[in-house]
Amino acid sequence: MSASPPSVTELPEVNALPPEAYARMTLVLRVGLALALAILGGGIVAYILENPGQSSSSVLSNNPILNYLSFPGLGSGLGAGSVSAVLTLGLIVLVATPIVRVVSGLYYFRKVGERAMTGITLAVLVLLLLGILFIGPHVR
Amino acid sequence: MDLALFVVLLVLVAIAAGLVGSLTGLGGGVVVIPILAIFFGASIPIAIGTGFVTILATSSATGAAYVRDRLSDIRIGMFLEIATVPGALIGATATVLITHANLDAALFVALGIVLFAIIPGSLARRHIELPPPMPQDARSQYLGLTGEYHDNALSTAVRYQAARTSPALGVMFGAGMVSGMFGIGGGVFKVLALERFLNLPMKVATATSNFMIGVTAAAGAGVMLAAGYVNPIVAAPVAIGTAFGAFLGSRLLPNLRNRTVRLVFLPVIAALAIEMILRGLGLP
Repeated sequence: MSASPPSVTELPEVNALPPEAYARMTLVLRVGLALALAILGGGIVAYILENPGQSSSSVLSNNPILNYLSFPGLGSGLGAGSVSAVLTLGLIVLVATPIVRVVSGLYYFRKVGERAMTGITLAVLVLLLLGILFIGPHVR
Repeated sequence: MDLALFVVLLVLVAIAAGLVGSLTGLGGGVVVIPILAIFFGASIPIAIGTGFVTILATSSATGAAYVRDRLSDIRIGMFLEIATVPGALIGATATVLITHANLDAALFVALGIVLFAIIPGSLARRHIELPPPMPQDARSQYLGLTGEYHDNALSTAVRYQAARTSPALGVMFGAGMVSGMFGIGGGVFKVLALERFLNLPMKVATATSNFMIGVTAAAGAGVMLAAGYVNPIVAAPVAIGTAFGAFLGSRLLPNLRNRTVRLVFLPVIAALAIEMILRGLGLP
């Protein structure tokens, strides 16, 4: 009878999210990572083929993504088939994956009617977007 | 160095970093950042920006299994993100501003010191599977910060509840700031806070920290990426290598003795920390 600590039974009921929430978040992580790695992998191979003579020191001193850090810049770069724009997109997908998971949490907290957790999750999401869309560009 | 060789070396370093990072619980950044700065001549903000990429890759690569098995507590993780995300935004902004002020040497020294600081943190983990229950505080009750998971080793369902949320929020803000500034350290401090303050079982603490580091890193990486301090030619091979190494590490972990792994790798990390500090101080 001593298998579990006695007070465990006194713990309150667990209010878990619906099972599909966990399945959805697992899917977000798997698809997000696979997509990011596929874009980055393809992009880096294309970059090497495109820049055969380049040295590592020139790569480290010239960051090729600086032209693609705005939505219009990224859009026109992708339209023109720029490898650096593709690599930038891969990085954005990598950063966006945990953020999409937060969005998915927001959806389910709202769906089960948890107002406090919905508010907290929304605040986290707003802060994340603030960093990418305002703080980062502002301190560039 | 030729570009193709550079990329291949980065993939190899990142595989090792993903492995070491997941086996020691310190994260891939502790290997990638010093090696980029010391051996590849990357500037310190570019090295730190790449550190975020290792965290994102590790968290997403190993996080799916934790979420599927319901070990990651989304509710507790999300609640604590309200402290780590602002911390990370402030930390990453500070790093960019310090770089603009040409104080990279100070970042070198600070990074070396943080590397040292997280080594005892990784050894100080409690290693108690199930902590004795503690009462929930009012905030924890209001938000329903309780959970349940099936412990395969104990063959039983385990219930837990979060205690002492106020000090945990404070530690989480600090953890967010450190990881936002340096691209390392977030996981170690988060696991400590989840175990020591919230009184969560070890497995839940580890899995919830894994969920949280991804979100915190997204905050720091967002700032660094938008500010132009993530170089994709460095980040792409590192992301691929780290994800592979972390995945491999998560497969090996159950078969390895944790303490042995730490004793093997911690001296290496300590040596890198010393080298970072010496570089920053301008000593040979």
